[in-house]
Amino acid sequence: MSKLGRVVEAVEKYNRFVLDQVKRARTDEKFGRELITRWSETKAKTPVTHTPTGLPLPRLALPEIDEPGEIARYLFGEGLPGEFPFLNGAYREMYLEPVRENELGSYGRNGDKNEVAAEMSPANRSKVPTRPPRQSRPPEEPTRLFSGLMLAEDTNERFHYLTQHQRTHRLSTAFDGPTLYGIDSDADGVFGKIGEGGVAIDTVEDMVRLYDGFDLGSPNFSASMTISGPAPIIMAMYIAAAKSRFGSKVVPKLRGTIQADIFKEVQAQNETIFPIEASLRFLTDMVEFTTRKLPRWYPISISGYHIGEAGSTPVQQAAYTLSNGFAYAEMFAGRGIPVDQFGPRLSFFLDCGLDAEYIALARVSRRIWAIGMRDAYGAGPRGQLFKLHTQTSGRSLIAAEFKNNLTRTAAELMLAYMNATNSCHSNSADEPFTTPSEEWIRLAAHGQAILLEESGIFKHTMNMLSGSPGMKAVERAVEAGILDEFREIERLGGVLAAVEDRFQRSQIQNAAHRYEQQIYDGTRPIIGLNRYRNGTDDIPEVKLARTPRAKQQLQVDRLKKFKKKNVEKAKHALDKLVDVVERGENCFPALLDAVEVSSLGQITGRLQEVVGRFRPMV
Amino acid sequence: MAAPIRILTAVPICDGHDSAINTINLEFIRHGIEVIYLGYHRSVGDIVRAAIQEDVRAIGISSYNGGHIEFFAEVVDLLRKRGASDIKVFGGGGGTITHEDAIAMRRKGVEQIFFAGTSLTEMTDYVRDNYGKARKKRSLSKSREIELARELTEIEGTYGKGKRPARKRKIANPQPPIRNSKVIGFTGPGGAGKTTLIDELVLRILLRQPTARIAILSHDPSVVGEGALLGDRATMINSQNDRVFMRSMATRGQAGGLSPATHDCLALLAQSNFDYVIIETVGTGQEAMPFQKNGIVDLTVLVMNPDYGSQLQLQKIVMLDLADVVVVNKSDLQRARTAHSEIEQRLEQNRRAQRLIDTVAKRHRDPGVDRLFDLISADRTR
Repeated sequence: MSKLGRVVEAVEKYNRFVLDQVKRARTDEKFGRELITRWSETKAKTPVTHTPTGLPLPRLALPEIDEPGEIARYLFGEGLPGEFPFLNGAYREMYLEPVRENELGSYGRNGDKNEVAAEMSPANRSKVPTRPPRQSRPPEEPTRLFSGLMLAEDTNERFHYLTQHQRTHRLSTAFDGPTLYGIDSDADGVFGKIGEGGVAIDTVEDMVRLYDGFDLGSPNFSASMTISGPAPIIMAMYIAAAKSRFGSKVVPKLRGTIQADIFKEVQAQNETIFPIEASLRFLTDMVEFTTRKLPRWYPISISGYHIGEAGSTPVQQAAYTLSNGFAYAEMFAGRGIPVDQFGPRLSFFLDCGLDAEYIALARVSRRIWAIGMRDAYGAGPRGQLFKLHTQTSGRSLIAAEFKNNLTRTAAELMLAYMNATNSCHSNSADEPFTTPSEEWIRLAAHGQAILLEESGIFKHTMNMLSGSPGMKAVERAVEAGILDEFREIERLGGVLAAVEDRFQRSQIQNAAHRYEQQIYDGTRPIIGLNRYRNGTDDIPEVKLARTPRAKQQLQVDRLKKFKKKNVEKAKHALDKLVDVVERGENCFPALLDAVEVSSLGQITGRLQEVVGRFRPMV
Repeated sequence: MAAPIRILTAVPICDGHDSAINTINLEFIRHGIEVIYLGYHRSVGDIVRAAIQEDVRAIGISSYNGGHIEFFAEVVDLLRKRGASDIKVFGGGGGTITHEDAIAMRRKGVEQIFFAGTSLTEMTDYVRDNYGKARKKRSLSKSREIELARELTEIEGTYGKGKRPARKRKIANPQPPIRNSKVIGFTGPGGAGKTTLIDELVLRILLRQPTARIAILSHDPSVVGEGALLGDRATMINSQNDRVFMRSMATRGQAGGLSPATHDCLALLAQSNFDYVIIETVGTGQEAMPFQKNGIVDLTVLVMNPDYGSQLQLQKIVMLDLADVVVVNKSDLQRARTAHSEIEQRLEQNRRAQRLIDTVAKRHRDPGVDRLFDLISADRTR
């Protein structure tokens, strides 16, 4: 049995455990009383907050139950926000406004040991879970907007524009096609692609320009980089750029995320440049390095977004993402990295669309991840957290009557926050046409602010919308669906074997085909496209953010200059890199040297000579 | 019945958005079109080379990552430069290609751009209406490559009409009838990895024999009068090279792994100055002996998957008697050692000098594939 099979068993076992606890609470009087006491204490300790109209509300809403069995079902089956199995949230307070001093009460002051249910060994697992620690840092804004256009200096300008009113600077970087495929801007036939759909990065000098003016070592700064195929090379460039600006003491302080998710590339997004095994090896090299030297960095963002965008069903999206995550965990553990070192450095990225599954998709995912990591991998509390970034669905946005996209994104945002995502990106309405322009980005960002700051939906009370009968029904159906997918993957020999068998890929394509059919035959209504269509073909007036030829030429010229300057040094560094790769050692330190003097395309090219190129699966 | 329309589809370089094109490909073949699918992340050079060699009527490009105005225009320009402007270019990119862009692209010679919301039926109708009729008189071939491609089309077209050509086919620029190519035939069950294996061999030939030229005749199954997805090029990444001439053929209803036109096409390629001519059958059954009556193939290679079933099944595979070389690919699978010894035993019955080689074609620099390369190139090293 692969580890995934053990995860299925762990979830089934945990579900049985919950039922046992329910039964025990009803039969074991002492246990039942303990639960009732704990329940009423939790309620009593919960501070009351006041809305602007003066309405008093508890900061944590709990179901109105007083029967010990139901209390057990809630505490063990769902957990309070911030408690195992984290169905209701990874943290206790998520997006709530900070507590005002006069509202504090006993809450947050108690000197509990703050033992988390997650920490309990099987022996004392039936002890009543208690409250986790409150977050000590002021909460970060969950808004993280994806951006990248033209050349590094242009994206840099956009970053400064986006963060001008924010306490924390959380940048999310999109790269252009050549960069995503590890190709240099001066390669044949890519000229028109330079700076399109993301920023063009060829060298460490571009990387310096990209984050110019930001304090990379600050606790209020984090960089997210959405790139997978050449991720180890780009990561090395980021570290090199930071060192060149702040010296090597900045390295352990660097905060951020790099996507580096090879499985989903092979399953859905097709930006793979090395054969799977070689890609996974380079990834593990990087993870081994960053977990030691950059303890605040997230070296992988396990992504369902692209699986969803490629057309999977929501259940497939969650199932493949989670199983990919468990496979990475198995791989990193196999390299000898302790689970409590890499576990807390894993993060997730999901798509949020308009299908009913999205009402609870992330909630269920968080629960399965926590149980799997605790019971199949032996992870401690921090390694059990499913830390989630959500993006609203790009695929749900369409060109016809594109202003409707504002409404679609707003509904998806609502679903994402109902799932207690840790951070979120809202798409711009003009996304079907182009890299978003400033006007529509602003509206997208404001959509989040309206929901979280202006509206009272998420700022006063945790669990405001959790736990409705409909949500419970979706949770049950989604969990069963995910476990079924796990069993199928397990039957195929585990994630890697299934990937090589094109299992996930063909399932996704199948679902995509069905989705398109449903649009064409009208069983899936898309307003403005197959229903209530405006008749006239409205040509939207969207100002396109296209990269001018002069800029593209500038990128090529700068790259050529860099290569000319480093011609000898590059040869030496690349020879050394190849040597390390051939010997099977961790090649990340050699990559760090190589990026100082060679371009992305030079490095990719040399590595492909040694490990081969990825052969597409069709 | 008219020969099926042949078109090439691809996604541009640095673009992995293949969801739309996959759906469109299926719709095309459902409507009787033969689609040569080149895959995603493809350069202008790869697309134009493939379109010329396959002698398609049109190229359909699905682009979602920007830079489409330049990319489409470069395809049109390169076709013109190579003397193949009778191959038309059309495409789409959902909402990423604006109406304004489309006007600019048409001005640069792109025939049609489909916008978001276009139905699959509209696209299929467009292809049938515009590329369905026989071409009018074609311009003079500018290169031997174009000429060869057109001659292959002519042969295929003649057979497509359901009868053997009555007259002897004329070759426009007759080459001296010399047999200077080594013709190697690959066959075996579907999923054994023939395509990957051939592509790995091609890589070795290209690297180690710097002037060698290769022709590949690859087959995919189809039913008479229906479409086919000819997708080998998408995985044969090393074979998209100026020293490789590749042609994808649908079997158009013929059983046994080859097309009715294969024999004549192969004969033509064999006398067209290639160092190697490689022919790949569709995935075949136990009774198949595709190269038997052929008389052109110099070396036959049977590619097996270790999962062939019981040992008794081996007795029924006719090609095990006929093949010069038997390859057990995917020899990293658990069952491979058993497979090797069972097949070895089976070959011993034949008392012929047959070779048995284990390979893992998907692995870069696989020593088994190296051995196969040494074997097929033994008399060819220059």
